[in-house]
Amino acid sequence: MKGAPMSITMRTFLAAAAVASFAVLAAGCGGDDGGGSGGGVIDQVIAVNWGTEPPSLDPGLATDTTSADVITNIMDPLVKLNQDLEPVPNLAESWDVSADGTTVTYHLRDDGKWTNGDPVTAEDFEWSWKRTISPDLAADYAYQFFGIVGAADYNGCKKDCAAMRDKVGVKAVDDRTLEVKLTSAQPWFVQQSAHHSFIAVHRPTVEQFGNKWTEPQNIVTNGAFRLDRWQHNSRLDLVKWDEWRNAADVELERINGRMISEGTTAVQAFEAGELDMTAGLPPEELPRLKDTPEYAQYPGLGTYYYGLNIKTVPDLKQRQAMSLAIDRRTIIDNIAQADQLPSTGFTPQGMPGFDTFNPASPWLPESGDLEQAKELMADVANPAKNVTLYLNDSPGHREIAVAVQSMWKELGITTTIKVQEWAQFLEFLGPPPDPSVGAYRSGWIADFVDAMNFLELWTCDSGNNNSNYCDPEYDRLVAEARRTPDDADRFEIYSQLEEKLVGEGGALPVVPIYWYTYVQLERESIKESLEVNALNQTDYTKVVEVEPEA
Amino acid sequence: MTRLVIRRVLWTIPVILLVIFMTFVLMRQIEGNPFRTSERAIPESIQQNLEEKYGLNDPWWRQYLNYVRNVATFDLGPSLVLRNRDVNDIVAEHFPPSLELGALAMLFALVFGIPLGLLAALRANKWPDYSAMVVANVGFAVPSFLVATLLIYFFAVRWGDVFDFPTSGWTTWQSKVLPVIALGLGPMAYFARLTRGSVLETLQQDYIRTAKAKGLRRRRVVVVHVLRNSLIPVVTAAGPILGFLITGSFVIEQIFAIPGIGRYYVTAVTARDYSVVMGLTVLLAIIVIIANMVVDILYGILDPRTREAR
Repeated sequence: MKGAPMSITMRTFLAAAAVASFAVLAAGCGGDDGGGSGGGVIDQVIAVNWGTEPPSLDPGLATDTTSADVITNIMDPLVKLNQDLEPVPNLAESWDVSADGTTVTYHLRDDGKWTNGDPVTAEDFEWSWKRTISPDLAADYAYQFFGIVGAADYNGCKKDCAAMRDKVGVKAVDDRTLEVKLTSAQPWFVQQSAHHSFIAVHRPTVEQFGNKWTEPQNIVTNGAFRLDRWQHNSRLDLVKWDEWRNAADVELERINGRMISEGTTAVQAFEAGELDMTAGLPPEELPRLKDTPEYAQYPGLGTYYYGLNIKTVPDLKQRQAMSLAIDRRTIIDNIAQADQLPSTGFTPQGMPGFDTFNPASPWLPESGDLEQAKELMADVANPAKNVTLYLNDSPGHREIAVAVQSMWKELGITTTIKVQEWAQFLEFLGPPPDPSVGAYRSGWIADFVDAMNFLELWTCDSGNNNSNYCDPEYDRLVAEARRTPDDADRFEIYSQLEEKLVGEGGALPVVPIYWYTYVQLERESIKESLEVNALNQTDYTKVVEVEPEA
Repeated sequence: MTRLVIRRVLWTIPVILLVIFMTFVLMRQIEGNPFRTSERAIPESIQQNLEEKYGLNDPWWRQYLNYVRNVATFDLGPSLVLRNRDVNDIVAEHFPPSLELGALAMLFALVFGIPLGLLAALRANKWPDYSAMVVANVGFAVPSFLVATLLIYFFAVRWGDVFDFPTSGWTTWQSKVLPVIALGLGPMAYFARLTRGSVLETLQQDYIRTAKAKGLRRRRVVVVHVLRNSLIPVVTAAGPILGFLITGSFVIEQIFAIPGIGRYYVTAVTARDYSVVMGLTVLLAIIVIIANMVVDILYGILDPRTREAR
């Protein structure tokens, strides 16, 4: 075998290679790119990354931040939250709260309009809210409305549902007046109504298309942007709606949105100029990107915490020692890396009244206090020497757990880390938690802007209290806070609640680790005007593309 | 041949029933609540409304029978997690990109892998062999997610101006090049190794010596006698690999943000989206069955002996 076979095989090989390249390249010709503006042209067209496919664009059904981010930009909420998280007029030009705090009346603007030309009326809200509360829609977030008279009963009704529907305390008094009756004074209700669940939908469209009404060919919206294109799991583009009531104030013409869920790919797409914004950053990229001019960081209204099972770790001194042993500064600087804030209480900084109710807990020193922790541990009569720590398998959790494991080891505690897949993890935590649970990782991000949303987690019958902590006095204080419309008085009660959780004499069913931040890369041309609020939402009506400073 | 095809098609029915049954049982065995997607606990009344709406409070055998009946009418039901979508929509919209990606990767693997293996075998233990096998071993050993990340880094970011490949997406032909290579490299290496081994064995056969002795031209010996008879193991492997490429491209779809079915499959399992998992498993079963059927038919064409044996 010399000479000839070589040339034959080489030729066959090359021919095959040529055919292959042609086949591969020709296979997908056509289709438009529609990609980012990344090239630096100032045309008020930006390319963003939504991160994932929004599970639903129906305000009544959506439960996640991606869907909420899209919905709040294509729909017109009654109120919006400003950067200080205070409610500001939006579609509702004003609102009144009755003296006893149980009746909230919204006054709608007269120029609200749906994209099909219909006016936006108070009836739209009445119908939409009752739709979300109804048992037929089976909305997860129906409970957002449970503070309204009759809502919980209607949601749980088995018969006579129509009659119960009529008893729900939401009423369109006229086209522009919406009256809401609450079960108690809920001082946060107006803030809460900025939540996407409280956005109205267009009744004729929903009735005509059923659960397909959010598809781009069917959807009718009333916000600053219209849904221009939605290719599931691929692209979702918004375009400015010129007939919106305040269209003159909106600069952006178009938002081309991708759905890149892989953090590293999103960073690469940003660096290649395909995106103007990344939506989050993977922790492993942070050290490299933190000092670039495109890096942006926002405080988030959320707490990353470890819960302790009171039954498995019954001794208070041991829980105090375990909390003291954790060096939050090390965890933040070396593992989490997004400049999160070390927690000094359970409710995060930024929440109204924080300065009043934050306990500046002595059990949560920023860099830990191992000496004191060891002293306390030495006093424990029957310490739980073996603790099983449960976490879910998302990136980052295991690394933090390993650090905590080594910190607790200093106290003579052997920590077994059990990593579970998400759905299984949630089942395992209960409540009540599986008896093997000693400690567990969790987190909480605000649904609405009031510390109640955090502190009510630890009542005896709360579905999110996985610690077996139950203090009737705590429950009584929560109930009292619900009845207290005056902010200053309520914040005082919150202060007592924080004290009971993590204060000097606190029971420590929970060891807060840090308060969240949101980080992302932003093109310098939009960085000035782009803001992510503490609920992780961006108001694109405020974004302007400008020539970046040289 | 027709009888063979009919028999195989009929056999798929009990197989699919068994697949549905096993998936059904397994999905219910693992704990988890499809309606709880975050830390937030769901109030009891809401959980009940959801179970009522999606028929999850019926006894299991009724749920199973309902499901089988729906599958028989090509209705795969609503997704429990993506509240505005049906599994039929998901399959219709997201199966084509996966099919295209899998088919292109398969084409890439065959068209490069077979000639590479042939070249290596014909020049066994010489430098073309060594270099071909280095390529094949590397292609086989390096995981696809690493290949994908490196391809994006070099060809879309670092030298992005030269090559004009986007980092991600599935729109233009440029966007398809990198994912196809990333997905097809492993199978290509596998085919190269299979072909090499098989060709080396064929070259030892008496009929090759006969063919050479008859004075046939080398090209004819290689293409007609050696290659054709060496392809059986490749074809055997090709069926399952095609099935795997079409349905198992989750990692590549994830990295390149391709709107394919693989992304849904894995996220549906984690989210306990029963109907999506079931629907996609049935689809996967059908694909694997078809791929294996095609292999059997190809056997008959390549090697008449197997045809007669049936």
